Amino acid sequence: MTQPILQMVGINKSFSGVRVLRDVDFELQKGEIHAVVGENGAGKSTLMKILAGIHRADSGQTIWKGKPVEITSPSFSLRLGISMVHQELTLAEHLTVAENLFLGREPLRQKQLGIINRSSLFRGAKKLLDENHFELVPSATVLRLPIAQRQLVEIARALAAESEVIIMDEPTSSLSAREAEEFFGVIHRLKAKGVSIIYISHRLEELHEVADRITILRDGRKIVTAPFRSLQMSEIIRHMVGRELSAMFPKKDAKIGEEILRVENLSRAGVLHEISFSLRAGEIVGIAGLVGAGRTELARAVFGIDSIDSGRIFVLGKEIARTSPSKAIAAGMGYLTEDRKVTGLAASLEIPTNVTLSNLAKLVSFGRINLRQEKEIARQYIARLRISTPSVRQKVLRLSGGNQQKVALAKWLFAQSKVIIFDEPTKGIDVAAKSDVFDFFVELTRLGAGILMISSELPEILGMSDRILVMRRGRMVGQLDARRTTQEEILRLAALGAERAA
Amino acid sequence: MNQLHCSIAMKPPNNSEIIGTWFRKLLPLISLLIICVVLSLLRPRFLTWENISNIIRQHAQIIIMAIGMTFVIISRGIDLSVGSMMALAGVCGTLLMTVGVPVVPAILAGCVAGLFWGLVNGFAIRAPIPLILVLPIPMLAIMVALELRRAFPVTLVLILSIYTLTIAAAILLAILLPGFVGTPLKLLCRIKVSPFIATLGTMQVFRGLVLQMTEGLTVYKNIPPSFGKLRNGNLAEIVPVGIFDSVAVYLILIAFLGIFAFLILRRTRLGRYLYFHRIPAAVIFILFIAAVAVLAIRLRGSIPLPLILILIIAALASLVLRYTRLGRYSYAIGSNVEAAYHSGIKVGIYIVLIYAVCGLLTGLAGMIHFSSLGSGVPTEGVGYELRVIAAVVIGGGSLMGGEGSVSGTIAGALFMAILLNACVHLQISDYIQQIVIGALLVLAVAFDQLWKRKLQGESQ
Repeated sequence: MTQPILQMVGINKSFSGVRVLRDVDFELQKGEIHAVVGENGAGKSTLMKILAGIHRADSGQTIWKGKPVEITSPSFSLRLGISMVHQELTLAEHLTVAENLFLGREPLRQKQLGIINRSSLFRGAKKLLDENHFELVPSATVLRLPIAQRQLVEIARALAAESEVIIMDEPTSSLSAREAEEFFGVIHRLKAKGVSIIYISHRLEELHEVADRITILRDGRKIVTAPFRSLQMSEIIRHMVGRELSAMFPKKDAKIGEEILRVENLSRAGVLHEISFSLRAGEIVGIAGLVGAGRTELARAVFGIDSIDSGRIFVLGKEIARTSPSKAIAAGMGYLTEDRKVTGLAASLEIPTNVTLSNLAKLVSFGRINLRQEKEIARQYIARLRISTPSVRQKVLRLSGGNQQKVALAKWLFAQSKVIIFDEPTKGIDVAAKSDVFDFFVELTRLGAGILMISSELPEILGMSDRILVMRRGRMVGQLDARRTTQEEILRLAALGAERAA
Repeated sequence: MNQLHCSIAMKPPNNSEIIGTWFRKLLPLISLLIICVVLSLLRPRFLTWENISNIIRQHAQIIIMAIGMTFVIISRGIDLSVGSMMALAGVCGTLLMTVGVPVVPAILAGCVAGLFWGLVNGFAIRAPIPLILVLPIPMLAIMVALELRRAFPVTLVLILSIYTLTIAAAILLAILLPGFVGTPLKLLCRIKVSPFIATLGTMQVFRGLVLQMTEGLTVYKNIPPSFGKLRNGNLAEIVPVGIFDSVAVYLILIAFLGIFAFLILRRTRLGRYLYFHRIPAAVIFILFIAAVAVLAIRLRGSIPLPLILILIIAALASLVLRYTRLGRYSYAIGSNVEAAYHSGIKVGIYIVLIYAVCGLLTGLAGMIHFSSLGSGVPTEGVGYELRVIAAVVIGGGSLMGGEGSVSGTIAGALFMAILLNACVHLQISDYIQQIVIGALLVLAVAFDQLWKRKLQGESQ
């Protein structure tokens, strides 16, 4: 093998006495796509942040093109030629694509006064975008671009900085299947140009499309580095979790009872068209569809966040007129949103506050909140949902993603919701937490709740649902029996619609 | 293996962490104590009960407004109109006195006026368009009432009923209108304005209104001299008691310190070893109240009435923040308004209530302020909003919402008050005082950031 472009040897890192990385080795060849996988908390983000200069290693050596270097700051890392494309995009949204590409390195017309040469800025941007076959307009404002294109801007920015190594953290987490496909094309072109890519992802299936080699981390240790093709998918999962994950989807044994939610001819101009379906007690109904098919919009309309133009919603046999979240919750509904940080949790507050937020009235007598009881309730849910936290009164923002999701779950559990909508319940959480969440779904159905599960992960939908509803462009295009359908059938319906799929 | 995720890691936080968070909560109080000690060493006259009650009398209106502002800032709002509102509500109250309403009902009416203008602020934020449709009614009504004053004495009932009717009309419009009218109007009702802009607007509106009501002149006729007691009165003026030496003040300080030390200690290992944690909080509270009560009886001739008001309001406000839905939802809305809405909280109603609380306390502050002047001056209170906001922020409130406490706010307000008083004692000019206060504000926030960063660094 040739001289690697980057080597990290024996990296150690602790945060307040907790070892996060132990003697981790990592190497990257020129023009290689190297996948880094591991559960949340395995140490991949920390390793990458050390590389990007955000954290500094306690010990260990970083070797760049054969020479030892000490990466002391993000700007130093950038100067070396290492860029990081963050999971949460970091673009200046109100500026144009071209301005973002050269942010901080604008071509100047007049150096002393700092007057920007706009024409050469746009020319430079256009040249860069054309060379890399990025279909972006330099003068477009980033705010108006869809997520997939913003991602391209991020990557283009890394290229504009002439980076030789690009770190991508969950780059496809907010892309639709088709957008992801295009995105892989971009990655392969970058590779052909000789750019090395470190690719962090939870989605093992997609690594198949891109990765040359894979490094698996677990509990802060490197488990293995190997050519991707030499490992079976089950082997990778075993290395990640340290055990066989045969029972990922727990067996359901709940009795399906009476109808608890009925939606009739629900419409919202331009978004939802004549949608009807029902949900029974003890049932899990999956809602499948491509990104933009209107699944989240359906959930928001049913829960009363968005107003509806026509249609009726019945919960436990009673109609909800002029819906709002407070009415929906009072009727027995719960909605675990896709974006827990934005709409799900008051992250700067403590766990008990979040757990009781949507049913606080239950703890109030004579206008006074019973704080002791509240703490006791939080303690119960922490034990029941296996939330890992140093104390009951921990601020939610200091928990890991999976544990935050469990706090959000606990909130709806405490609200005693009968109809719960889960929007991408496993997004961005690790395998072990996923399996906890699914166990919990089964427990909920046993208690007589009905679950609507929106997910982009077809195996999840197939594994957990009793029935599957497929949406396409705001319409319901099919209802399938989960035991008798296949991923291919769902995808065909979602992508082509009922008429052509038949 | 995999313990990180599957185990229930419920280890109690260690001592240093507990002391750390307590330290941060108490930082305003601790710095307050330090500055008191330093000042009393420099100028012995500083730590006399006379001087301290003077400080409290002079700054009571700021402290009371700051308690109201604490609610607003916790909910990630801001109220720039409190300075103007203080003048407006205070003038509303004093105007009633000029037409013969007795002092106590007039003071209450001033508070109600504040509550009303606070509701106006809430509506300006959540439903500005219905508000603008309704707002001319009370304005006109008040003008008409003032014109009529020349012919007939206006009664308290008249002005109060104007307020009540207008509130009812605004609520009806904002809540019921969207239900019955077509989509375009519905949209108009749902438009919101950021608190900064809305209260920037009402700041001007209130100032204009109070100037128009009084034609820019001071309201002083027929105001009973007993009005002055609201600010200058003592707990028991009947019993003459000599001026107390600073020993009593030291006693209060020691009592405070002891109780805070105890509260911290009972959570640490040492405290557990001494079985402090077995002593219920209620016992400490009763001891504390008893200590204060004993002192109060000793000092009753020289305890300022505003201090009593501040203590009662502070206690009530802390209880509301901690134990009621209004308080809890203030934190939730400030921390993440989207999450609060998705959790079924009627965000709009609570925001209106929060501004109403702020308005109510501002109304009381206005009455206290004008009590010292013995008249209603429409040009008073300019720039007070900044001092009030500064008090909350110095006391640990975050403009990003979700943080803040009544005790911190009071410490912040006292801190500024004492610093100003110190400037007087040390014969520093008014201009320098402004520089000191401004620098203090920036420093306090910078330290808070430093502290937060340290805590977050540890948690990663």
